[in-house]
Amino acid sequence: MLATWRRYKLTRWLALVLLIVLILLPLPQFLAPERKLVTNSLLFSFTQLFMLIWMASNWNAFSGFTGYVDFGHAVFFGLGAYGTGVLMVKLGVPFPIAVLGGAIVAAIFAFLIGSATLRLKGPYFSIAMLGTFVAMREIVRIIKPITGGGSGLTLPPYLNRPLFYYVTLIGMAIVVLLIWLMRRTQFGASLIAIREDEVGAEMRGINTTRHKITIFCLACFSTGIVGGLWAYQNTFIDPDIVFFESRTIELVMMTILGGLGTVAGPVVGATVLYWLRDIIWANFLDYHLIVQGIMLILIVLFVPEGIMGIIGDPDSTSLGRLWKKHFGQGEETEQPTTTTEVQS
Amino acid sequence: MEQLTQATINGVMLGGYYAVMVLGFSIIWGVMGVINLAHGEFIMIGAYLTWIMNKQFGWEPLTAIIVVVPVMFVLGYILQRILINRIIDRPYLISLLVTFSLAIIIANATKLIFTATPRTVNTVYSGFWRIGETSITVPKTRAIVLIAALIIMGLLWLFLQRTRLGKSIRAAAQNREAARIVGIEIAAVYALTFAICIALTGAAGVLISPTTPIYPFMGGPLTLKAFAITAMSGLGSIPGALAGGVVLGLVETLIATFVPGVGTNLGIVSSFVILVVVLVVRPQGLFGGLKAAEAH
Repeated sequence: MLATWRRYKLTRWLALVLLIVLILLPLPQFLAPERKLVTNSLLFSFTQLFMLIWMASNWNAFSGFTGYVDFGHAVFFGLGAYGTGVLMVKLGVPFPIAVLGGAIVAAIFAFLIGSATLRLKGPYFSIAMLGTFVAMREIVRIIKPITGGGSGLTLPPYLNRPLFYYVTLIGMAIVVLLIWLMRRTQFGASLIAIREDEVGAEMRGINTTRHKITIFCLACFSTGIVGGLWAYQNTFIDPDIVFFESRTIELVMMTILGGLGTVAGPVVGATVLYWLRDIIWANFLDYHLIVQGIMLILIVLFVPEGIMGIIGDPDSTSLGRLWKKHFGQGEETEQPTTTTEVQS
Repeated sequence: MEQLTQATINGVMLGGYYAVMVLGFSIIWGVMGVINLAHGEFIMIGAYLTWIMNKQFGWEPLTAIIVVVPVMFVLGYILQRILINRIIDRPYLISLLVTFSLAIIIANATKLIFTATPRTVNTVYSGFWRIGETSITVPKTRAIVLIAALIIMGLLWLFLQRTRLGKSIRAAAQNREAARIVGIEIAAVYALTFAICIALTGAAGVLISPTTPIYPFMGGPLTLKAFAITAMSGLGSIPGALAGGVVLGLVETLIATFVPGVGTNLGIVSSFVILVVVLVVRPQGLFGGLKAAEAH
């Protein structure tokens, strides 16, 4: 079964995504008040999941493909949220335009900060982004006249759960599809080339800085939209809940669990981790962050290729080798022809 | 004018402390290529140990150094053996994620044990020295912290320059393969380097305890400042750390003094701005260190 899975991997994934979308779309139809089949809280938690998949895909589209690890991606979530919030509360802009404005704010900031920091190599970029994140929270806290400072902003309430559900579902599906398509263009291939060998890519005539800044701005624009949606849905934002430390690390964790640099990785990883986190919260409320930290260390040390890595190429991870040893006999012959596809 | 002099004195004293705080971080990075994002959390452990000594046994904060250094040395050695050793030759993403998780675990475990209440230690060295007839003062605790920091840096410099182990550490940082060929046990040097640097970081925690409140999440900003200073100073350079620390200390104090209404919260912003500017203008650092600061 694994072999056929590998051979028709892309088609299968597309089919699977469509299938999930089709299964999930009718959910709110059952929202007849007398039948408690689908509650608002269930829709809400699905909305949260879609947002996480959406953001993890953005993070992966930049960091997973180019190899530049953005350790402060939540800053663009925050800028999107605050951009939307400020436009709606202070200027009375209607929501759809405000969310677009918030995303543009995030993209412009990404362009400015990216032009400076994306010339840096490896860890310097990561920590510079971590610094951006911490600094931005303080800056937002300080400019009280615009952002409301530490006491936050209250957006006009609009509690239509099914609407948010559909908007996030469609947005997420579009983003995943776009990334899947992008991966198959020359642009996507150039990004992978930057990850594998940046100097070599430069020598082949790829303008690496421009590629990096372009994908960075696109990913941050997309994350800004999620931030705006989240702000409107939450109806209240302040620096601490918007610029929340573990938001970035959650995205990183989900992507790595699913498979860094694969299109399906963030989707799988976010879904698994989202439900796993509920279990952790239910059982270890006081020390859920400790458990999460230990989990991240274990994932990074023992399954660095993620779930998609295990499915695609069992030999790449210790867990995968163990799995293959016990369950995967008779499939070794397929190996040479499929290894080239694994990177996708 | 007096305000400026006062701010400069405070900034320099803060900078001396930053210098000793950053060295553990920059030597680990220079020797092993591991960026220890749990650096601030080790400072926090050192500070909490000092607080325990101070509250339980009534020790003067700085004397706690004789307990903290051995404890942190052992902790560092064990951590290196079971965890850090596994990530040394891996891509930097892995070392960032592992040490970041370590930071989350340590901070939250501390919060569970000691609660989030900020703690302070008591010291007999409170009050000020006044300079001449002016209104310029020198806080006694900070002056003593500065002297202790300078002594620690002097000892570390002697250790790195004069002892056999210190020379091995520098050799391993400069060229690992060559060091192995001339007979240096790289694994042992790595384990001892990490242990020594964590002990040094714990000592920095002792030094910080009389001047700031101690709470579980104090580590994050300290790690970021350590990174900013390291970017300026080059990896493992003691004079560089001193200069970088003083620059950051001065900028923070001057901003807090002369820009109204922002307070010290902007310290983290200023260190970040310095970081980005230095990285963009001069990525190799302002001072040569064990080796030029480059991506691992």
